[in-house]
Amino acid sequence: MSLHTHHGGRGGAGGAHDGVSEVVAVADRITTAIETVIEGKPEVLRIALTVLLAEGHLLIEDVPGVGKTMLAKALGRAVDCSVQRVQFTPDLLPSDITGVSVFHQDRHEFEFNPGPVFANIVLGDEINRASPKTQAALLECMEERQVSVDGQTRALERPFMVVATQNPADMEGTYALPEAQRDRFMARVSVGYPSPQSELDMIDSHGSRSPLDSLAAVTNAERVRDLADQVRSVHVAPGMRRYVVDLVNSTRTSPELRLGASPRATLHLVRAARAYAALDGRHYVVPDDVQALAVPVLAHRLLPAPEAQMERLTAEQIVAKLVARLPVPGPN
Amino acid sequence: MRTLMPLATLVCLLLAMPLLSSLLRGPWWVPAVVLMVAVTAVSALYRLTSWNLLPVPLLQLLAAAVLITPMFAAGDALAGVVPTADSIAHLARTLQQGLNTIDTNAPPVAASAGVPLIIGVVFVVFMITADFLAVTARCPGMVGGLLLALLAVPLVVEGETLAWGAMAAAAAGFLGLLAADMWVRGREWGMFVPYEGPEARVLGGLRRFAVTAVAVTAAILLALSLPAAVPSLRSDVFNDLADGTYIRTGGEDITTPHPFVSLRRDLGSLSDRTVLTYRSTSDDPDYLRMFALDEFDGVNWTMTPVNASDDNEASGELPLPAGWSEPAPEETVTTQISMDSDSPRVDFLPMPYWASSVEVPGQWYIDPASHMVFTTSSPTTGLNFTVESVEHQPSGDELAAAGNPRSLGGGHLDLPDDLDPAVEQLTEQVTANADTPYERSVAIQEYFTDGSFTYDLSPPSAPEGVDPLAHFLLTDQVGYCEQFAGAMAVMARQADVPSRVAVGYTAGENIEGDRWSVTVGDAHAWPELYFEDVGWVRFEPTPASSDAGQGSATVPEYSSGGRAPGTDPVELPEPGAEEPAPPEPSTPADEPSESPRESESPEDEASAPMADGGDDGTSDTDLSWLPAAGAVAGGLLLLSLPALARVLVRWTRTSGLPGAAPVAGAHTAWRELRDTWLDLGGVWDLAESPRATAERLAGHDARTRAALWRLALAEESARYAPAPADGTGLREDLLTARAGLMSAASRGARLRAVLLPRSLPPWAAPRPAPAPA
Repeated sequence: MSLHTHHGGRGGAGGAHDGVSEVVAVADRITTAIETVIEGKPEVLRIALTVLLAEGHLLIEDVPGVGKTMLAKALGRAVDCSVQRVQFTPDLLPSDITGVSVFHQDRHEFEFNPGPVFANIVLGDEINRASPKTQAALLECMEERQVSVDGQTRALERPFMVVATQNPADMEGTYALPEAQRDRFMARVSVGYPSPQSELDMIDSHGSRSPLDSLAAVTNAERVRDLADQVRSVHVAPGMRRYVVDLVNSTRTSPELRLGASPRATLHLVRAARAYAALDGRHYVVPDDVQALAVPVLAHRLLPAPEAQMERLTAEQIVAKLVARLPVPGPN
Repeated sequence: MRTLMPLATLVCLLLAMPLLSSLLRGPWWVPAVVLMVAVTAVSALYRLTSWNLLPVPLLQLLAAAVLITPMFAAGDALAGVVPTADSIAHLARTLQQGLNTIDTNAPPVAASAGVPLIIGVVFVVFMITADFLAVTARCPGMVGGLLLALLAVPLVVEGETLAWGAMAAAAAGFLGLLAADMWVRGREWGMFVPYEGPEARVLGGLRRFAVTAVAVTAAILLALSLPAAVPSLRSDVFNDLADGTYIRTGGEDITTPHPFVSLRRDLGSLSDRTVLTYRSTSDDPDYLRMFALDEFDGVNWTMTPVNASDDNEASGELPLPAGWSEPAPEETVTTQISMDSDSPRVDFLPMPYWASSVEVPGQWYIDPASHMVFTTSSPTTGLNFTVESVEHQPSGDELAAAGNPRSLGGGHLDLPDDLDPAVEQLTEQVTANADTPYERSVAIQEYFTDGSFTYDLSPPSAPEGVDPLAHFLLTDQVGYCEQFAGAMAVMARQADVPSRVAVGYTAGENIEGDRWSVTVGDAHAWPELYFEDVGWVRFEPTPASSDAGQGSATVPEYSSGGRAPGTDPVELPEPGAEEPAPPEPSTPADEPSESPRESESPEDEASAPMADGGDDGTSDTDLSWLPAAGAVAGGLLLLSLPALARVLVRWTRTSGLPGAAPVAGAHTAWRELRDTWLDLGGVWDLAESPRATAERLAGHDARTRAALWRLALAEESARYAPAPADGTGLREDLLTARAGLMSAASRGARLRAVLLPRSLPPWAAPRPAPAPA
């Protein structure tokens, strides 16, 4: 994935949206901050920011030890907001996430003890280690952005972003997320191994103490909320809407895929594209945004057909092929 | 809308009718128009229903058949409408009369009863065919074939250029039909609108113009170069389609126009265009004969087909003519003939009878019996040839001494059985006091030249049902050389003198010294009579007078009663001295008072053979490079057309860029960039976004890179942004990017991009990849 992030230029000319330039400024600050912790992964970082601004949830999938948790933590640090971390284990219960109502003897009433889900950024570590029941509880919160305990509905504060990490399904002791639940994540990224140079730098920086400790917040939750509102107003031309629909639709008709992307995927893709465009300083979406996001946003929702699996085609490769074949919206 | 196409077809054919107007006189078109309107109405009304369309031609035929009876045979039909056996027979008779009229008359033909019927039938058949092609089969272009057939008629008959007005009307009608078809198709299927940009109209117009220009240029170039390149395909090829004489080569018949047709045309022409000039060593040159017509079918004289084979090639010494077994003792005459380069081509040589040798370029054959020299290949204009001929002037005594013809083969005494017996009686009467064949011949000639006959180039046609020969001889006695010669030849046969009709030119007019000039007005026909031991000799029954006869005709001395040799040729009594007797009153419809073919101007005649100039040897050698140069110039033009069109497209785009609306400007610049890249042989991926494309196209040059990037961002903003950026600097960016792309390409790719721009043809536009299989 090679993205060209050319800021400014003629793309943003005209009425350089204040909101958009603010998005760029804040995003730059966050990126700079996080890069002190995670080096050499600008694409992953960019997707993470996109998901944050698009108010989606992020699934980080990779082998252990490549910095999944570090990424999520750094993101939470950089944005001055409440961060909760849940370590998923097989014995974790749903109430360990949502919170429980506890009866107070002295006051003779139930008091709600909010679970870790009541935070701006919830880090769900190794989500595929938890039992399906617990996974389901978290995913319900993600979708509804509210928690219902004991018949009482409590809204979750914006911004609300779940960053879940998981090990690939073929690792031991994991319960793979079912397709329906993967669909709730806006995007999935792999961190991947660092380059040798990054790894060398990492030895230095992580030698004495965790760099995470020195990571100062560069923005706050309220700011992020505003930026998310700005992102919603990014223009999506009719041709671009059509392009997104066509792209999603092509996953449904492709013979190489057993399961195509859902309408929710369409919505996620448009929202993510808006945020991605804003991060590039544009107030309108271009095909490049959709193309850059197609794999992260769509691939984890798809199931390759058995024939494609036999050809060792991954969902990512199939999506890339579909993107390469779909004409971008022309001058009409 | 269903009735539009039949109506357009009708209009198309109606507008084609003037093509025939130079051939016919009078209200010949009225029945045809009525019939065509009727069958069109049938077609249009039937198409208002949604029934099967197959019966339409049948219904149209039925309508035409129903209408023809009251129009042409009302008298014999039941209640004027219902056909009866009588009415059908009447129609057949009328049709036959019409065919005869057309056969025997020089154009323009008067529209007597039969001719409008023929025209009506022809046009109804055309109309039904055109209706089927254009409306039922939806192939209106094929109606052009019918129009070509109509177009060929004046060409065949006249062999001259077309009337431009009629041609333009026919073309306009045809284009109207095509336009109507496109309009109907557009209504049915929707028009294809390729791209709705502001510069697209210019571009689309340009493309249409380029396509039209290429088509027109190709058509003109082909029309000019094909006849020059293929010898057998001459521009006067239609002439050869006229019926008439046949030449056989191997089993193949070649037709040549009937001699009388060209004779009538020449005599009817008001111009005094020179046909040929010649030098002769004789003081009194003989007529120049081209054809000898030896068969009489009761109405017309025609020619026995002649054979072209290696045995009778006309090179060097020619065989002796009939009646001679050894060369004649008389002196020979050398005649050097130059055909005028503007005159029609000849495939029969005009030369004095009898020729002992001929030197002529090309492949020529001689028919031993008639001594006609002809060719089967297409002859050239401006032919030069030399003839040695025997000056054979038998004396009256020689002829008188000739006995009954014995040695002559072939049916030179044959006459049809159904000749009017009155002619036979007349011959007997005229030759009552003549004993020898010679005396009988002289008596017959005198019968014509005694002043009772009137020379008129447009004689009244014989009334229906009357033998034209008997009518000429006995009733009105008005005609010209064709009638005189033909009638005398018939009467000679009846008097047991073998005869035939020769067609060619008189000796013409002496210009100076030994140079003679022959004009179209010198076209002539005369009888040749055969005498034992003397051979064929010429007689001259046509009045020889400049104002009331064939001006340049001369009467051979032997033919006027055996005067002693050495006497001056006798001028005949001048029948023209008295007021030319008006012909007997005839029906007004048949009155041919106005001189025929007034429309014919000398320019028309001169311009006719211009188009094919070039490959003949003499007078216009200096123009022989014209077709080649034209072909080269046309080829170069054709080759540079794509480049020119591309330059024009680019110019239209770039010149409109400054000041264009931002969206349109960005699109235009981007399209031009795309076309430049396609011209260079590059791939344009429709699945690629503008900025990705710019990334891919950009080479190492930073300026090109930046320009490409700005163009991509402008295009991207024009496509996807709610308020696109302004289009300043697009033109400069485009020129920079184009220059960068061109300089990065190889020399061959650049050359190809200029000469054969791949972006030009509409099919070269990039298409989306096919759906995944």
